[in-house]
Amino acid sequence: MSMASASERSPMRRALDRLVWRLLPLTPFALVLVAWVVYWAVVRPPPATLPAVQDVVVAMWELAAKGELATHVAASLWRLLLGVLLGVITGVIGGFIVGLNRPIAEFLSPLIVFFNAISGIVWLPLVIGWLGIGTALAVFLIWNTVFFIVFQNTVLGVQLVPQVYEQGVQALGGGRWETIRTVTLPGALPYILTGLRSGLGFGWRALIAAELVGATTGLGQMIFGATEYHRSDIIIGGCLLIGIIAIAMDRWLLLPIERRTIERWGLVFDARKEE
Amino acid sequence: MSATAARSALGHLPDHRTGCVAWRWLRGLKILLPFVALVAAWWAIYLSADFSPQVLVSPLAVWRAFVHLATYGVMAEYASTSLRMIGLAAVLSLLVGVPIGFAVGVNRYAAHALEGFLRFLQGISGIAWLPLAIIWFGFTHTTTLIIVIYTLIVPIIFNTMVGVRAVPETYTLALRSLGASRLRLVKDVYLPGALPSIVVGLRLGMGYGWRALIAAEMLVRKGGLGDLIFGARTFGQIDRIITGMIAIGCLYVVVDRLIVQPIENLTVARWGVLRQ
Repeated sequence: MSMASASERSPMRRALDRLVWRLLPLTPFALVLVAWVVYWAVVRPPPATLPAVQDVVVAMWELAAKGELATHVAASLWRLLLGVLLGVITGVIGGFIVGLNRPIAEFLSPLIVFFNAISGIVWLPLVIGWLGIGTALAVFLIWNTVFFIVFQNTVLGVQLVPQVYEQGVQALGGGRWETIRTVTLPGALPYILTGLRSGLGFGWRALIAAELVGATTGLGQMIFGATEYHRSDIIIGGCLLIGIIAIAMDRWLLLPIERRTIERWGLVFDARKEE
Repeated sequence: MSATAARSALGHLPDHRTGCVAWRWLRGLKILLPFVALVAAWWAIYLSADFSPQVLVSPLAVWRAFVHLATYGVMAEYASTSLRMIGLAAVLSLLVGVPIGFAVGVNRYAAHALEGFLRFLQGISGIAWLPLAIIWFGFTHTTTLIIVIYTLIVPIIFNTMVGVRAVPETYTLALRSLGASRLRLVKDVYLPGALPSIVVGLRLGMGYGWRALIAAEMLVRKGGLGDLIFGARTFGQIDRIITGMIAIGCLYVVVDRLIVQPIENLTVARWGVLRQ
């Protein structure tokens, strides 16, 4: 296509370009799918090693029809919700206390570095003994993961609010509490939400890992339980579902919240725009 | 990083050796102090109630377990297995991930096409593939390695791609108009331009990868610190579990602070300007 025609593209052509651009992200998925179908048709591997595409769909459909799938998904999402809620509440409160007190921040920072390094799944063997197998264990591990991410982002956000603003409110007679409410909180909010967004991603990973051994229901247990019977159709279907849920949460829940907050309260820094 | 901070803080002092040593001691104490407080609190909790050794043990018991594991070389064995695994995975992921990131990053369409796919893969944590990997490769080191590489490579590809995309087009155009070859472009523009981003990806990946490694070792049970703490669970040896957790934390901090962070600081100091 020459440059001349590019400058005088018809609306039709532009609409087509836009369509191609929007469909482009689907190509890797399509390629993998085609490769899978072709490989299966040519090599015919045993279904325990690699099931056919339709087997995965059928297996997931059967689980869904029996209602088992909904139970597992609900169990996982419930744990995630509890763990993330706890993590965000404690992380934000802790982050404010530490972020507003430099001596405390300096005293605690080595502890935070260390406990951040062992956050999440590393606690599993110890905490199984305390909480037993089940929801409490998974919630603890998610909380432990989410807390540090939200906490660190909150501390960063609080410390980065320019002092001039705080002093401005104080000069006008605002108390400490009022300063926090009207300046520090909105100023730190974009960071807190960035923390929440990556915290949810980490929390989801931690949950799946926790459920592999530390639960009797949930998506992680569903795929790990399937290993025993070599049901790789359930494993693959489960993995895909895990990815879809993660993407859906990020796209339709967190990205919009983050965007809106940054638009409303974001300071001068740029929120890297997508092309 | 801490070295430069110490140096700048010492800027107004005469550069005596004694001053330096005293300063370092003071810094060391400040880092240790919160841990002393933590151990004291732990000991107080331990003494305040009658815990069964299956639930909580004293710091002294943990110390004894550590000495025991260290003198018999068990700790070194488990730790070196984990370290070798993460090192190997990091090297392989860089060797494979960076070229893929480059190939995709230089093309606007390819980058757009792959971004969603990479995000999707990142949503399925490496550990979720563990059941399938166990079916395919059994309870072996290969299984662990593949899980860790999967976890590491996605952020590396992603950040390489983002880094390459962020290199201003004027630079490539300038070099190209002077007749530079594609290889030259990669060597002189894309690689230095993307390096800070690649290193950030590596650091992020190491964070994910270390956790995935521990989790995989717990289930594969073929050595490594994850195996140590999960195996100790079976016999209710809390002292060993806590020892292992401390080792996991310390090793990660050491690898992150002494290897990955200096590389990051170096690249950002050397090439970071290109980011803006």
